[in-house]
Amino acid sequence: MTKGVGTTAAVVLFFGSLGLAQVPGDKQPYVTMAPVGNVQLRTGASTSVEMDFRVGSEFHINSHHPKADYLIPTVLKLNPPEQLTVTDLKYPAGEEMAFAFSPNEKLSVYSGDFTIDAVFKAPANAVAGSYPVKGELRFQACDHSACYPPRSIPVQFQVTVVKK
Amino acid sequence: MKRNALVFVVLVAAILGMLAAGKYLDRTRKHGPLKMVGNVKGVQAPDFDLATLDGRRVKLSDFRGKAVLLNFWATWCPPCKIEMPWFVDLQNQYGKDGLVVLGVAMDDTEPPKIAEFAHEMGVNYQVLLGTDQVSDDYGNVQYLPTTFYVDRNGIIVDKAPGLFSREEIENDVKKILASGQDPGAAQTSRASVVKASTPTTKDAQ
Repeated sequence: MTKGVGTTAAVVLFFGSLGLAQVPGDKQPYVTMAPVGNVQLRTGASTSVEMDFRVGSEFHINSHHPKADYLIPTVLKLNPPEQLTVTDLKYPAGEEMAFAFSPNEKLSVYSGDFTIDAVFKAPANAVAGSYPVKGELRFQACDHSACYPPRSIPVQFQVTVVKK
Repeated sequence: MKRNALVFVVLVAAILGMLAAGKYLDRTRKHGPLKMVGNVKGVQAPDFDLATLDGRRVKLSDFRGKAVLLNFWATWCPPCKIEMPWFVDLQNQYGKDGLVVLGVAMDDTEPPKIAEFAHEMGVNYQVLLGTDQVSDDYGNVQYLPTTFYVDRNGIIVDKAPGLFSREEIENDVKKILASGQDPGAAQTSRASVVKASTPTTKDAQ
């Protein structure tokens, strides 16, 4: 009996969530971030953290170095806690692409998956512990015929500082 | 057994409820619970009162009797940039017939930067500073460029979300110009006819 109800409830939740998520024709661009695994950092040392992002199919976003001043670059802003510093951010090179709306002007864009590396350093006197790193990725997306206003998505993961 | 049946009924109701909610969210996300839900063709274009780049105020109703091409754009939008020279040409070509091109800039950028961009693009039509209100009034315009074609009576004849060809844009311009006679253009037209004494088909229209 309990098992039957549980199974039915699971089926309902599955189809129910499909119902809520079903947004035919909704073409809002999206960028998602994969969860960052456990990051460990020894005091006095540095480590690189890879942040993997995915641009929704049919869309592209400007790279960090778009080809014209009027375009809005993709920018990652991180706000580390006092125990950590970000010493470097490495953006991938954009892919040079021409689009139907601009066949003669190649744009530097990210589409599909891309990764941004952030190098973190913990000072020698850092206190051991687990620290949240928060930030946001700002981007501006277009599809083959139009563009959407700039948006931001939150970025968050934990960095564990351990004594050397 | 009875309990299973009851659970089943409740769960089916929950599924239907969620599907209905999904459908509602879809509709509100696409159009917003606003004035312009669904097909906007044939709807009175919402009036607005927007600032120009030089600080004047402009209302859509100021142009009653004119055919208005209302283009929502932004400086960061490459497809919008493609259309701008076409709008310049169309304003030159059809301005005398009563066409008014209005560009509504949806940038967060400072007006001088928008003005600089418009100047570089050789824009010869009025650029207005867009607001969230005007975006909402026109159905939450998020997709740029989006162009509304408003006839001489203030009725939306067509909406073009995204980049369209120059030919398609010109066809829509002709539609809104044909929607009624601009009194000024009619006088000019008649004067030309009298002067030339040989009315053309276009003059006769």
